[in-house]
Amino acid sequence: MKHILLCDDDVTILRAAEIKLTRAGYRVTTYPDGQAALEAIQRELPDMIISDCQMPRMGGLELVRKLREDERTRDVPFLLLTGKGFELPIEDLRRDYGVLGVIGKPFSPREVLQIVETTLAASV
Amino acid sequence: MNLARQITLGFFLLAVGVTVGTGWLALRDAHDGGLVTFAAITAGIMLGAAAWQLFVVQRERREHVVARRFLEQLLHQAETGSGIAPNDSYPRIHHASPWKKPLERIFEYISTSQDRKLVLESAKASAEIRLQRASSQAEWMESVLANIGVPVLALNAYDEIVLANPDAESLLKIRAEGTERRSLPRVIGNERLTNLIYDVRRRAVATVRTDDLELEDNTGHRRWYRATVGKLPATDKGPDSGGALVVLRDVSVEHSMQKQHAEFVSSASHEMKAPLAGIKAYVELLADGDAESEAEREEFLGVINGQTDRLQRLIDNLLNIARIEAGVVKVSKQSRSINDILAEAAGVVQPTAEAKHIKLVSDLSPLYLGALVDRDMMSQAVINLLSNAVKYTPDGGRVTLRSRLADQELLIEVEDTGVGLSEEDCVKIFEKFYRVDKDKNMAAGTGLGLALAKHIIEDVHGGKLTVRSKLGVGSTFCISIPHVARAS
Repeated sequence: MKHILLCDDDVTILRAAEIKLTRAGYRVTTYPDGQAALEAIQRELPDMIISDCQMPRMGGLELVRKLREDERTRDVPFLLLTGKGFELPIEDLRRDYGVLGVIGKPFSPREVLQIVETTLAASV
Repeated sequence: MNLARQITLGFFLLAVGVTVGTGWLALRDAHDGGLVTFAAITAGIMLGAAAWQLFVVQRERREHVVARRFLEQLLHQAETGSGIAPNDSYPRIHHASPWKKPLERIFEYISTSQDRKLVLESAKASAEIRLQRASSQAEWMESVLANIGVPVLALNAYDEIVLANPDAESLLKIRAEGTERRSLPRVIGNERLTNLIYDVRRRAVATVRTDDLELEDNTGHRRWYRATVGKLPATDKGPDSGGALVVLRDVSVEHSMQKQHAEFVSSASHEMKAPLAGIKAYVELLADGDAESEAEREEFLGVINGQTDRLQRLIDNLLNIARIEAGVVKVSKQSRSINDILAEAAGVVQPTAEAKHIKLVSDLSPLYLGALVDRDMMSQAVINLLSNAVKYTPDGGRVTLRSRLADQELLIEVEDTGVGLSEEDCVKIFEKFYRVDKDKNMAAGTGLGLALAKHIIEDVHGGKLTVRSKLGVGSTFCISIPHVARAS
């Protein structure tokens, strides 16, 4: 069973994405900030990470930067889920950190599931 | 010697000759009565001529005296520079006098030079007045430019600075170099400004162009200036015409307001996106049949409802703030009992506090505390403070609502045993959409509650809303408003 890690400080968002992915047969773990997620990732490497940008303690951009510095976590697919999509330098993120893309809030859980399925199918 | 004197002298000598001749003949022939008569006549003529001669000599002497006096007077006047008075007249001199011509010429010369001097003097006086007026006008213009409060710069057709007021000199770091012409690129380091000036100067028709530039002012702060450059019309009045006039206006306030406005719109839309994201996600889950039980359906609907309420609150708060800031809010202030309003507000927050096992203590003054307030607004402000206190206080904590009278002021305090604020946060907490990052997950707020409360207390009621806090210990928000004694 593929493991998806969700990271967002908004519980309602976490829960919605969690439900959609769980129903589709994924194992989902959720964390309220980047620091908690990073610690969990270092314990157990997920198959994919979906994270918000603005979070307490550690934001999504800092999280992906830290992940790419570590050899073990360098290649985990990383997707941003944020309301600040248009303010981010998406091309730079793609090039420098291999960020798959940015899903803007409000988002469609269906779309998230679709991206997860395509990504994981390609990485198999 | 003139002819008249020669004739007189001729007659005199002839008369002497005739008198001597006839006298001698008369003495020799003593009885010749005719000769005696003739001698007497010629002697008479001789005496007459001598008398005339005497008169003429006397007259000439008098004229000499007059002429000498006149010349002395002229000399004195020339030496003292007093000149000839207009009513001074030419001395009376006999027409036959040898003095007549030269004196006439001297008098004429002096009186014309006198006229010339008068003309010159009046021309000099009027020139002096004009000069004074022009220099005072120039001084006045300079003082207008110096006190206009805006940097102003004028350039000639060769891009040399011909005028820079003190503001322009200090802003553009132009040193006063006296009358020496200062060429543009050497003086103005700002490339955008020099390019703008060149651009205007190149144009054939009169043009005015503006550009916003960031310049360092004399205190070292970077500020925004709007440069307006206009081409000066070319005239035939020397090389300074046909240049450009540069006026720089400080637009930092406009710029920061624009920036604030953009940030506000960005924050407001970001805050609206959060509840909207919840609504959209759960609607889609329901539509896709992702709710596996009736309870889960209820849960999803509950989330949608809750997020809709959150959006509604956010919009209400935004509108209220906008109305208060624009001054279009309808305020109906009446003398009210503050304790009544506080008790009511405590009642509204009580259920939330109970759910978190937070003890809500009301420590209200036993006195009647009257104040001129808009009941709904004041109640809203107190509820915002109380619900914040409950939100950021961990389970089992305590929130105290206090009221008291202190020196003609009413003090209302909301004290909690919550997470507390850092010194920096104590300042920023009242800004719109400011949320303390580390505590964000404690509550889903709009980020507007405190901003609204501050507006209500300070702008609507002329009071003061402050906070003192200690991290990990708790915060105390304090309202002070003017006290109004109960109407008798």
